[in-house]
Amino acid sequence: MFSYYLRLALQSLRRNPYLSSLMTLAIALGIGASMTTLTINYLMSSDPIPHKSKQLYYVQLDNWSPYSAAREPNDPPDQLTWRDATQLMSAAKAYRQSAMASSGAVIESGNPDIKPFLASLRLNFADFFPMFDAPFLYGNGWTSNDDDKRVPVIVLSKPINDRLFGGENSVGRYVTIENTQFRVTGVLDNWVLVPRFYDVTTDAFQSVEDVFIPFYFKQTLQLSNGGNTNCWKSPEGEGFEAFLQSECVNFQMWVELPTPADREEYFNYLNAYAEEQKALGRFPRPINNRLSDVMQWMENEKVVADDAQIMMWLAFLFLLVCLLNTVGLLLSKFSTRTSDIALRRAIGASRQAIFTQYILESALVGVLGGLFGLILANVGLIGIRSLYGDFISELATLDFTMISVAILLSILVSILAGSYPAWRACSVPPASQLKNQ
Amino acid sequence: MLLMKNVQKSFRTELVETHALRDFNLQVKDGDFVSVTGPSGSGKTTFLNIAGLLETYTSGQYFLDGQDVSALTDRQRSRLRNEKIGFIFQSFNLIPDLNLYDNVDVPLRYRGFGTAERHQRITQSLERVGLANRMKHLPSQLSGGQQQRVAIARALAGEPRFLLADEPTGNLDSQMAQSVMALLKEINRQGTTIVMVTHDPELASQTARTVIVKDGRICSSDLPDPIPAVSNQ
Repeated sequence: MFSYYLRLALQSLRRNPYLSSLMTLAIALGIGASMTTLTINYLMSSDPIPHKSKQLYYVQLDNWSPYSAAREPNDPPDQLTWRDATQLMSAAKAYRQSAMASSGAVIESGNPDIKPFLASLRLNFADFFPMFDAPFLYGNGWTSNDDDKRVPVIVLSKPINDRLFGGENSVGRYVTIENTQFRVTGVLDNWVLVPRFYDVTTDAFQSVEDVFIPFYFKQTLQLSNGGNTNCWKSPEGEGFEAFLQSECVNFQMWVELPTPADREEYFNYLNAYAEEQKALGRFPRPINNRLSDVMQWMENEKVVADDAQIMMWLAFLFLLVCLLNTVGLLLSKFSTRTSDIALRRAIGASRQAIFTQYILESALVGVLGGLFGLILANVGLIGIRSLYGDFISELATLDFTMISVAILLSILVSILAGSYPAWRACSVPPASQLKNQ
Repeated sequence: MLLMKNVQKSFRTELVETHALRDFNLQVKDGDFVSVTGPSGSGKTTFLNIAGLLETYTSGQYFLDGQDVSALTDRQRSRLRNEKIGFIFQSFNLIPDLNLYDNVDVPLRYRGFGTAERHQRITQSLERVGLANRMKHLPSQLSGGQQQRVAIARALAGEPRFLLADEPTGNLDSQMAQSVMALLKEINRQGTTIVMVTHDPELASQTARTVIVKDGRICSSDLPDPIPAVSNQ
């Protein structure tokens, strides 16, 4: 009977193309608006490294003021001090670990045809690359030995390698930063992280940095602070070294802990470290350390912006309005079919059969509305890309999951919209309708 | 057999209660051709609707082919209508955007027959009413008499025990009416029980038995059968 009902539904849609188009358009507009905002939210909140997001932990230590929490109600600061970051790195208690910071500097290639330019820097440790599965086009990251001995090595992003070396394998060649020659150990392939979860303290949807150099060059080259720098008390003394020894936070740290036991062990170590610092006169607040896995950290840092969520709910309200319009249109359409319904009831159709026939017709409107809505959603996403620029272009695309969600959502709302009109249709008393003809 | 005992049908509004049928007793035996006639508003069509399970009754008993229909669910009533009853209406009630083949197909779809069985029944029914060569035509391409023949073919396709006809010639000229009447008589001769509501005394006279209804009651039946005692089943 399914194919029969489907044929009847198609015939019915063809019989009244104007009304059918209006219904399809109503559903399509609602689905288009909902899917545009839902796609942005879905991609903003998607797991950027699903196979190990439960093994990567962001480290927080509470070195903050005794009088107020770094973040209400009682959260530790979202970054570490230089002292804590370097001491945790020296202890090397995790399977993998990397403190990191962002900065910027002028890069020179030695090629007179290429002018020096300002590039974004990430200062990190050797474990950064394997920990976050950084894809390499040429070469590799550097070694822990390079970290410890402050060897000037560098990993280039693909766009920078294209710019400096025309896309060639530049491993072994040199670039100059702050008068120091850095040897290229590797070139990253295109690396798209949505969100760029390893540092969400400023903007979670930036692209990865231009170049990567060992963390300790922050101190060696006295590189400027990128991102947010927060202090609960002023540095004791003047100059760069005083800043590094202060209670100011500007450094992130991630550790890789493959098992729950590793996590527990590392957390105990953090607490012991905090006790040790208390004994040295630091960490005046009660012990309040945190280890958050990737998704917890994204949630904690509200990577999905509140206004994006508000937009999404507004779009769903719009879908509801479209749904109510569709209910009205379906009621109008089905009310013209009473003679057909009465006849079918008289010659053997049960109420359930009539209900199924009309619900299937609604679902078919849903499929058409969903397909058209997908086109509108794509147009909406193109609009968002043109409004918000590059970073969102990674977000603003419909993947297979979202396409499936769009169609299913569309069918679901159409069935919901069609339920009342279909119920009205199947409740038509056949005798009185046949008499009225 | 179709058997009604003391069937009452009343409609109640806030101010008044209207009795459409009162103490309605009728037995139609297998193979009968009964015409039901009477003035407008006498209750003929209400009787036919109740007989065809399109309406419920207020009290009394109604047995269709020995089955008490009072306690049936909507699905059971629909099934029974589909299997045992064929309807013919005054205004033909064909679905305008389905061709003749698909119109006759409608009750067979609800019966759940397979493609081959449906095809055979549709073809045979349309052949029986002389329209097999026009099965791809739309109803609007046919005359009134031909449309009523299609409606008869649709009613016959499920091979029902009973054919209920409500003024089947009411919209036809006398020549076409006679042609349809001849077809109904032929169908009756082949064993189908027919109950026909009509205003036309000439048509009524052509049936084996005439029942006259007035004010919701049978006031005359030219072959009064004693109503047998029927126990609830």
